Amino acid sequence: MSNRSGGVLRYFASVTKTVIAIVFLIPLIFTLLVSLRPETEPVTKGNIFFGSELTFENFERAIAIAPWSLHYINSLIFVAGTLLVQLVTVTCAAYAFARMRFLGRDLLLMVILLQLMIPSGVLLVQNFRMINTLGLFDTRIALMIPYWGSAFGVLLLRQTFREVPIELEEAARIDGANLAQVIRHVYVTNAIPAYLAFALVSVSTHWNEFLWPFIITRSEAIRPLTLGLNKLIKTTDQGAFYGQLMAGTLIVIAPLVILFLLFQRQFVESFARSGIR
Amino acid sequence: MRAQSPRRSHLSVLQPYLLIAPTLILVLMFNVLPAIKTVYDSTHRPARGLNAAGKAPDYVGLQNFRDLFDEAHYMGTRFQRTLRNTIVFALATVVIGVPLGLLLALLLNHKQPLLGLWRFAVFYPSLLPLIGAASIWSFIFSDSIGLANAVLKSLGHPGLNWLGDRNLVLLSVIVVNIWKQAGYFMIFFLAGLQNIPRDIYESASLDGASDRQQFTALTLPLLRRTLLFVIVISFIFAFQTVEQLQALGEGGPNDSANLLLYLIFQNISERRNWGYVNAMTIVLIGVVLTFTIANFLLFERDESN
Repeated sequence: MSNRSGGVLRYFASVTKTVIAIVFLIPLIFTLLVSLRPETEPVTKGNIFFGSELTFENFERAIAIAPWSLHYINSLIFVAGTLLVQLVTVTCAAYAFARMRFLGRDLLLMVILLQLMIPSGVLLVQNFRMINTLGLFDTRIALMIPYWGSAFGVLLLRQTFREVPIELEEAARIDGANLAQVIRHVYVTNAIPAYLAFALVSVSTHWNEFLWPFIITRSEAIRPLTLGLNKLIKTTDQGAFYGQLMAGTLIVIAPLVILFLLFQRQFVESFARSGIR
Repeated sequence: MRAQSPRRSHLSVLQPYLLIAPTLILVLMFNVLPAIKTVYDSTHRPARGLNAAGKAPDYVGLQNFRDLFDEAHYMGTRFQRTLRNTIVFALATVVIGVPLGLLLALLLNHKQPLLGLWRFAVFYPSLLPLIGAASIWSFIFSDSIGLANAVLKSLGHPGLNWLGDRNLVLLSVIVVNIWKQAGYFMIFFLAGLQNIPRDIYESASLDGASDRQQFTALTLPLLRRTLLFVIVISFIFAFQTVEQLQALGEGGPNDSANLLLYLIFQNISERRNWGYVNAMTIVLIGVVLTFTIANFLLFERDESN
């Protein structure tokens, strides 16, 4: 009895799975197909998959609308500049909170955790003002600076550092290691998976960011990829040039999709730890 | 060596503070201080009239909030419609997206052929930039050549104006959000399922429990905490994910599909609405704060258990 119902269940499971997977993949598949068919041809015309012919025209037009290589470089600088500073600030604070005793420690940790309760994303207006007051409007620093401190990172690494056996630190101290050396050789070395998780979450979050870069920059010279895509969206709005829009979208999303294909497990595991971000 | 010792200890008292200083200062600058300023500015309004440019804002008490909750006020109309949409948007994401995430986790929790493909199919939307996801769906929902209408037309239906009809835009935005978030919710359930010991199921099977009995009597209760956690974070996210509106109707027509943070974003450079923008931010912070504190309380209980 149990076996037969199990068989039926498994059958339903694989049907459901297939249907959901197809529905979820359709947007990506059609993005690719539409980007390769002639602009004026609706999906209902000709061959549903490939249209009357395959063409790269849409990519050529999308490339002409925004300086994509510049946006790529800007996005790279944005995510790398954010991550590198984060790694330093987060490591220092995480070590202090994990292994040092000092007056006001719990209170100060609470203050830092306020970032999780009042994320800078909802403080758009005041942070916009803060950046103007600092005279940083339309600079690369303005893009990154609100993220240089990360409560999520501090929490994640503090937890990881606490699991490192204290004897390792003591042994290193006896060997004459100073604080920087202890942190680097004892703690950082033993927390690589946590760092990887943090890095993946940080990079994919900021690679995808739109609102903050949009209000805090004006020059194309420093604007990231998502803003190039926004420009393309606004151009498309007026003429329904979906072929070029899909081509541009692919240009923007390709790196993350490919990275995900290569490092699926790491991505899934990292994001599983990001709930408290 | 010995002679240095007093100076060293002096320094080592300061050491922890120096280590946390960068993070602390940044959080104060970009989270705490702006939040306090928001409270202050929400009770003020830019000065009006001649020579207003240099003048300090006027204190108006809670008038900004009263206006926001006044249906007849021009900003109140927009705010209330938007707040309602935001709540519907959040609830729909939770009620449909969370069970879908759980279902996906149950389907993908064991070794199977093509696991990588299945996982890619349901998780890749979570990695896309919201604005990229929105741009893809703007094609699917587009009036004349979109996929959604192509399907409807092949079924003999004339097609719908997904992004122009005031009754449909919010629905379209919700569909995109669920598609984007379900895989993200799934990974928390996968992690939760992995924490359930295998042998519990084995002994349940030996006792003759059916699959359905095992699910309701074992899996669900053991996943309770994960479920609560995912529900809370999905609410928190729902109030902050608005960028897709940029490509999906821009909140219109008449704010019929506008969301709170996007309304704030739209008014960011409207000087006369400065007080309202801050008052709306307070409402948004209030919601996010409530859910985050709930999350912490649940977490605390988790750790003490």
